[in-house]
Amino acid sequence: MRVANKAIYDSVTYNLGSISEELNKANEIATTGKRINNLSDDPVGLTQSLNIRSTLASIEQMGRNISYGNSWLTVSESALTSVQNIISDTKVLCVQMASGTIGSDQRSSAAGTVQNMLDEIVSLGNTDVAGNYIFSGSKTDTIPFDQDGTYNGDNNAFAIKISKNSTVEVGSDGEEVFGNIFNTLSNLKTALETNDVGGIQDAMDNLDGHFDDISAKISDVGSKMNRMEIKDKIYQDLNFSNMERLSKIEDADIAEAIMNVKAAGLTYQAALASSSKVMTLLTLVDYLK
Amino acid sequence: MSGIGMVLNIATTALNAQQYGMGVTAQNIANVNTEGYSRQNPVLVAKQPLLYGGRLLGRGVDTEQVSRSVDQFIENKLMQEKSNMSSSSQMEKYMQVLEGFFNENSGTSISTMVSEFWNGWYDISNNPSGVSERISLYEQSVLLSEQFNALENYLIQLDTDLTGAVTSGIETINKITHEIAQVNGQIVSMEANNVANDLRDKRNSLLSELNEYLDVQAFEQSDGSLTVVAARGCTLVQGNSDYELEMGGTNGDTVTWQNSSGSNVDITNYLTNGKLGGWLDMRDEIIAKNQLDLDALAKEFIWSVNRQHSQGVGLQGFTSITGTYAATNPGAAITSSGLPYQNKVDDSNKTFNIWLFDTNGDPYDSDTGTTGLQGNPITITVTSGMTTNELVTAIDNGTGVQASLDSQNRLSISIDTGEIATLGSLAFSDDNSNVLAAFGINTFFTGSSAGGIEINDTIRLNKDFIAAAQVGNDGTMASGDNNNALAITDLQSATMSISQWTCDRINGNIEGSVNSTIEDYYHSMVGAIGIVSASVSRDRSFGEMMVNELSTIRDSISAVSLDEEMTNLIKFQHAYAAAAKLIGVADEMLNTLLGLK
Repeated sequence: MRVANKAIYDSVTYNLGSISEELNKANEIATTGKRINNLSDDPVGLTQSLNIRSTLASIEQMGRNISYGNSWLTVSESALTSVQNIISDTKVLCVQMASGTIGSDQRSSAAGTVQNMLDEIVSLGNTDVAGNYIFSGSKTDTIPFDQDGTYNGDNNAFAIKISKNSTVEVGSDGEEVFGNIFNTLSNLKTALETNDVGGIQDAMDNLDGHFDDISAKISDVGSKMNRMEIKDKIYQDLNFSNMERLSKIEDADIAEAIMNVKAAGLTYQAALASSSKVMTLLTLVDYLK
Repeated sequence: MSGIGMVLNIATTALNAQQYGMGVTAQNIANVNTEGYSRQNPVLVAKQPLLYGGRLLGRGVDTEQVSRSVDQFIENKLMQEKSNMSSSSQMEKYMQVLEGFFNENSGTSISTMVSEFWNGWYDISNNPSGVSERISLYEQSVLLSEQFNALENYLIQLDTDLTGAVTSGIETINKITHEIAQVNGQIVSMEANNVANDLRDKRNSLLSELNEYLDVQAFEQSDGSLTVVAARGCTLVQGNSDYELEMGGTNGDTVTWQNSSGSNVDITNYLTNGKLGGWLDMRDEIIAKNQLDLDALAKEFIWSVNRQHSQGVGLQGFTSITGTYAATNPGAAITSSGLPYQNKVDDSNKTFNIWLFDTNGDPYDSDTGTTGLQGNPITITVTSGMTTNELVTAIDNGTGVQASLDSQNRLSISIDTGEIATLGSLAFSDDNSNVLAAFGINTFFTGSSAGGIEINDTIRLNKDFIAAAQVGNDGTMASGDNNNALAITDLQSATMSISQWTCDRINGNIEGSVNSTIEDYYHSMVGAIGIVSASVSRDRSFGEMMVNELSTIRDSISAVSLDEEMTNLIKFQHAYAAAAKLIGVADEMLNTLLGLK
């Protein structure tokens, strides 16, 4: 084929242009360490990576929810354990006070101890996490128990989400948790004051019931904490596997990227060398005198 | 004697012809780098012989014409490919800008912001009475809204830029067609005697330039003039006249051509190639689709959040609240009242509740007319075909509540202490008619498009009105109630029907719909931009390759080779020298004759 002078220069321009474009692309991948630098680099991979990123953001949020819920459950557990201890102490006191060898003076002075225990349980019932009362249902800003044990909360336990479609009650309906415990104690106190051994024995029976109720509640809280822990573990695994997938989609294989830069660079150098030769080749003009 | 005279004559024609040949070679060498130049060749022919001495004898040489080395088929093919390539290279340029707008590899992307928005609601659900969680959700929502607004503005700006490009493209086209018409005139007058090679090259270049802007068809007439016709048979050049294109249409953004009877023909959608085709494809198909889709996404997002938000209650009730959407036609049924979300209203006897509270926050029992712990709400039933005016009356009829339309036809609801003096606030619940959200009462966002989305002023001014809770069945409100916040977080994974557009310049914009979550819709929208961009880049690179190949073929036929011209130069030089020698020899012969004594 006839080769015109212009064609030589044009093809040098075109070829150097397309090779340097390749070199630039290879260099972009190697320097950013990312396979996808523009939407058009891999639209399908990009859509997947966007989905993974929002999954990761939700997983992170669920992790926050769980640790928030755990703080409520931990506080609940310790409050309820204290309540349980007070109940057993009260029972020991009852056993002593129900004995025939105890005089009315000792009984009426024990009434003061019971009052302290009652106050202590009320104060445990009013436990809060960062200003939110955990035993007042969803009225978390209302002090759940008055001094006499009157309940001011509501019957909807405070719940949080630990996955897109499951919630866990981390707070409690205080009325349900504490039941008649305040009544029992104030009846006990009255019985002690009035030296009513029958009343003390009634209270003892009731305290057994309360002890069991609180125990059940504690194990309920424990099992929720357990569930949260398992869920948290699952999220950590999910987080890891998603990060790995994201990296597979987005990140460049550095060894390969560097190889590509080398290869493209080599091609570019070869093209420069041959182009400079072709352009400076002599024409017939140089040989004519 | 006459024999020697003959030799002299022949030698003279030879000198002329070789000299002319050198002239042509010089012209070729001079244009070695001229774009679109076709090398020329002198066509030498032996002159008609004469009867001499009873035999035919030649009379020398003549330069019959100077021909152009040109293959019109390749020229046309090249023009066509250049036209295709300009279209895709323009689109590629604009697609890169568009890609930048939707770049997801940064923390400021809509995708990240939407995730953060839902997470903000999760944080509120964890601590419904917390102030910092509310402020953080508000700030997050402002960022998200602003990002939607910014994207919309970018798209509008691109649209405007493209119309600007088309306008200036048309000016260039008119200039080129005017020049072609002029060159046509010159060619016709010159070619009465000669072939106007250089003018034809010039015309070819102009035609090639024109093809970079739009695809045209060109026919040569018998007089040598070129007729240029654009899409839809619009003649741009005929003989030495040219017909201009201009911007028309109501928005001045369409391309029109004036026909011979003076009426304008809209040819916008028929321009498929060249820069103009690329710009118009970009503007009317790609940008248009992304604008419509972004709006559809924003519209559904706003609605789904608002609908759920309007079911809830914040940390306090309202004494008075005005909706954000205007019912421009209050006398018509709500479903055709001009509300942006009128089609979401369900008027098949669906209901919503208005709860009243006294100044202590205790619920008022609208059944018995007393306050206490157990309340009952006013229930409004939305009957079939109910008008906005009728709705206002129905609400207003409730004891303790007032309703009216403000000057902009927005629904306003407030407590009526004239009817019940002890009232302090009101709240809403259980709206299955969607009326509250449709009027923008107790909503989170305002607006109904990507450009218009903003946070409701009610919430902007008082974060207490972020409705994380719901009024209980007995009218109680609990600040620690997170039921509405939890319901809003459910929307993150909720599949909804969202409009999706197909924009085609010939068939128009067609609305379809997909069932998708908000996030998935946006992700596939971004993915689609990447796919279009990648395919445009491929087209451009293919076009570039085609143009390069065809140019090489064209150059092999038409462009100048210096080696060839040098050879020709020597060829003509030697022939010239030989002809001169002829004259010398004839001279000597004459001297010999004249010297006879």
